[in-house]
Amino acid sequence: MHQVRLQIKGSDEARYSYSIDVQISAVLQYWSKPKNYPLFIRSVPVQNELKFHYTVHTSLDVVEEKISAVGKAMADQRELYLGLLYPTEDYKVYGYVTNSKVKFVIVVDSSNTSLRDNEIRSMFRKLHNSFTDVMCNPFYNPGDTIQSKAFDSIVSAMMVQAS
Amino acid sequence: MSIPDYMQCAEDHQTVLVVVQPVGIVPEDEFFRIYKRITSVAQVSIRDSQRNLYIRYRHHYLPENNEWGDFQTHRKVVGLISVTTCGSAKEWPQTSDRFHCQKDVFGATLYDSRLLVFGLQGEIAEQQRTDVAFYPSYDDCPDVEKRVEDFVESIFIVLESKRLDRATDKSGDKIPLLCVPFEKKDFVGLDTDSRHYKKCCQGRMRKHVGDLCLQAGMLQDALVHYHMAVELLRSVNDFLWLGAALEGLCSASVIFHYPGGTAGKASGREPSLARGQGQAADTGKRHRPGAQEVLIDPGALTANGISADTSSEIGRAKNCLGPEDIIEKYKESISYYGKYKNAGVIELEACVKAVRVLAIQKRVMEASEFLQNAVYINLGQLSEEEKIQRYSILSELYHLIGFHRKSAFFKRVAAMQCVAPTIPEPGWRACYKLLLETLPGYSLCLDPKDFSKGSHRGWAAVQVRLLHELVYASRRMGNPGLSVRHLSFLLQTMLDLLSDQEKKEVTQSLENYTSKCPGGMEVLTLPDGLKLPPVPLSKLPIVRSVKLLDLPVSLRPHKQKGLLENNLSSKSPFIYSPIIMHTRGEERTKKIEFRWVQGDVCEVQLMVYNPMPFELRVEHMGLLTSGVEFEALPAALSLPAESGLYPVTLVGVPRTAGNININGYHTSVFGVTSDCLLDGLPSVRTSGCVVEVIPSLPRLQLSTSLPRSAHPLRPSKEELSSSVSVQLFNGETQQLTITLENIGSEDLETLEVTSKTCNTKEKLFGEFLSWDLEEAVSQLPLKPGQSVTLTVNVKVRLDFSGGENLLQDLNDDGISVTGLPISSPLRQVLKPRAETKALGSESSKTDYNHVKTLEAVMTFKYSGGAGKVEGYYRHLSLGVHVDVEPSVFFTRVSTLPATRTRQCHLLLDVFNSTEHELMVSANNNQDLVLHPSECQRPAAGSSRGEPSLYRSMSLVGMNTSHYVLSI
Repeated sequence: MHQVRLQIKGSDEARYSYSIDVQISAVLQYWSKPKNYPLFIRSVPVQNELKFHYTVHTSLDVVEEKISAVGKAMADQRELYLGLLYPTEDYKVYGYVTNSKVKFVIVVDSSNTSLRDNEIRSMFRKLHNSFTDVMCNPFYNPGDTIQSKAFDSIVSAMMVQAS
Repeated sequence: MSIPDYMQCAEDHQTVLVVVQPVGIVPEDEFFRIYKRITSVAQVSIRDSQRNLYIRYRHHYLPENNEWGDFQTHRKVVGLISVTTCGSAKEWPQTSDRFHCQKDVFGATLYDSRLLVFGLQGEIAEQQRTDVAFYPSYDDCPDVEKRVEDFVESIFIVLESKRLDRATDKSGDKIPLLCVPFEKKDFVGLDTDSRHYKKCCQGRMRKHVGDLCLQAGMLQDALVHYHMAVELLRSVNDFLWLGAALEGLCSASVIFHYPGGTAGKASGREPSLARGQGQAADTGKRHRPGAQEVLIDPGALTANGISADTSSEIGRAKNCLGPEDIIEKYKESISYYGKYKNAGVIELEACVKAVRVLAIQKRVMEASEFLQNAVYINLGQLSEEEKIQRYSILSELYHLIGFHRKSAFFKRVAAMQCVAPTIPEPGWRACYKLLLETLPGYSLCLDPKDFSKGSHRGWAAVQVRLLHELVYASRRMGNPGLSVRHLSFLLQTMLDLLSDQEKKEVTQSLENYTSKCPGGMEVLTLPDGLKLPPVPLSKLPIVRSVKLLDLPVSLRPHKQKGLLENNLSSKSPFIYSPIIMHTRGEERTKKIEFRWVQGDVCEVQLMVYNPMPFELRVEHMGLLTSGVEFEALPAALSLPAESGLYPVTLVGVPRTAGNININGYHTSVFGVTSDCLLDGLPSVRTSGCVVEVIPSLPRLQLSTSLPRSAHPLRPSKEELSSSVSVQLFNGETQQLTITLENIGSEDLETLEVTSKTCNTKEKLFGEFLSWDLEEAVSQLPLKPGQSVTLTVNVKVRLDFSGGENLLQDLNDDGISVTGLPISSPLRQVLKPRAETKALGSESSKTDYNHVKTLEAVMTFKYSGGAGKVEGYYRHLSLGVHVDVEPSVFFTRVSTLPATRTRQCHLLLDVFNSTEHELMVSANNNQDLVLHPSECQRPAAGSSRGEPSLYRSMSLVGMNTSHYVLSI
């Protein structure tokens, strides 16, 4: 039985998604310590959820580092998929960042060999598409926690598939 | 070797280790004062060689670690400085013995040692000894530093000789095999003549010489030796030592590239070099492209020929690793160390050193990989203390590379380790301290002001957890005050994120804690200087709006007109200006139109609601004000669970005059008292908080002899303090006694009475209200508690003519009709009085009501005390409502021909509807007395020759009625 956890979080920067590149980089510098907060968290075994909160929270360090490592000029052509952020003893943590700096993190049981880089990548793509739909909802306030049923069902379906 | 030194950094490889220890009884503070002076000699430049010797001082060092001295010479204790107190000559031999004992601990490796004796004077102290220095006291030892420098130089001489010794006998017959403690038994019975063994010996010795060169300040030589050692050791697969040689190579290269040091704040070598890390990295970069500069490195040139044999062979610049290579080599070296279980400490330290280098190079991702590896290095059974130390240092290193969240994570783990259940005496204090340090990593700041700025941002789940842990730790620490503060903070900032169950739990525990230690508004200062700002619980209950209420109408102060104009004209020279003097964002400080009066109860209305899923008891809710001495009268309230907006009126009495500013409110909830300032609550709507308090004025209470009116006056443009109503017949006069009592605390000095009749529709004859103020005024000033009476005559004289119905009656009846039943108006009148009103509305179809109302407002302007001086007055207004009923009815009209043709007689049936006797007078001045409910028939003469007008009849004491009659 493999366990998959999906976590998505956004940041204040998401608000600036409509500005041009130069501004984004300026914002990045300005938010030297952007306060990231979760927009959506879902884990299959509900117990011990806090542990995953910690895992995802700490993974943000790596995400931030990876984003800032990419040159500013390259920001628009940046690969959204960040790959394996870091392996822990039991889990693998993958990251994905949209152009508006919304972060997706997937934590997978490391014993789950069926999920390879390509699968993870496509999962992220699906997530991103669904997230875009959420953002298209005129009643959704960017920055609020996601309560969309459609999004939730896509995530659930993905987790069932993966396990 | 089991305890790693987490503070190590790459440049420590070039230092020599000197242990400074107290012998016998030395006061700790004195020892550390001397220790501090000794450690100030961290770098000594050797006189003849222009080389520098770096010294690392330790006041505590495990002899066990010393055994690894051959492996890496910077681990070897080469110097010992003992500090001792010796009171008298008698104690001297004993002290001396102790010193020698201590020397024996590190005996094998010591190059030199010194004993600093304090307090001994006399014969012994006179002796000139190189290894012992005598000082009369701890305060009187001016040349300690000089002594230490001499000592370091002597160490250098030994070091240099050792280096030369080892360096030259490389080709010698038998090179001893250097080995680390755990290897010793592996070599028992090994063939010492094999090529493999010899190469092994050679390689290890090369590496050792490299270490010595590095320590002796000959960087280039060290590099060369390390390179050779790497080659030799690689060929024989001696991985442990190969690792060490690689690490040596890295260290030497790091020292070359980053002269500022990699330890960061921990140890700046000298003031000029003790720069920030960023700068250090810059220096590194500057060095990189110009590696050729190395050719004129003064350190290498002065090495009088000894190094010439090696360094000339291989280009120097080539020897030094580039920044990229350093990391590669570190990785390699760590992987070799990893092969040996017993070298865990070495591996861990190497990781730490590599991370420090990477941090300077700003290669964060790689650094995190090294750290990740370090996490997994197993050092066997670690004591709890060591675990804590390890997690702390991991946290520190993560912080160094900018991974604040990781850093916080490990710090928290360390904190939890402090209180692990296996520890017999949990260190709650340390746990708490560490937890506090994690706060920035979780983007938490214990100042609630940061949170009120916007909606909550941050990882709520972990933040809530952390706050809970802080609460628990502080409680176990035995500081309930801190627990209360943290719990309040949790409630205040995370309220929206807590579930109902959690809210209940948190408040329950808060109540438990506050029963021991009530929460207040003072700043809590922790022993280490951290200040915990107060947390006002402004969300329990949530205040939505603050509205200052005007005084009740009768108590409102008014300004004398004349003075008001003066005020206005001084404000601006322009009568009108299109420029509006806007002061944006000053809404809160905006002044309010009305005024409060000193000494009178003033009210502020708050709209509050309770966000909790249970009843909320708020006690001592009062106002916080400034500017004026204010006596707040606290209120207690109980808000039902998740109530809607609930109005709460807070009251208080201003005790002095001036401008009062309502700053906020004070509450006490769950035993936590809080002062919530409106400035910090942007969500609170307010229409202004500054109000002028004017000096006190007297207060009058009005009572009348007549019953109070149930219904207010209709045209209620003015608010009335009270009103009376009375029913009168037309022409009746009634006396109204008004008693004015001074119920305030000031003398009543002036009193003016005016009246105004409200409905002007009716034609009013004579004066409606009349009074004589003289008597009342003569009693002024009126002391508090006294009263004055005023008699007002209410006189109604209204015109009841023009009743169409009556005329119709007349027409219908015609002239000849007699004995008609009583006409409709009469029937109405005959009904009981109480019902008149209702009937009047019923019969509205005829649009005729016999009852007319007359209303007037009496205004009593009064003033006194300090308020009068300022030009203020108050007024009371009394509404007088009079229902006027006609007193007579003409029930029938008929004419009789008169004797003359030009005249006729008009017969009127007059009905007295009152209960009193009344006089009717007609124009011929014939008086007619009408008894109650009596009908009489007076005949009035009418002259045809005069204009066809029927002359009026005058009813005594009443107004005249005109009846138009055409004949």
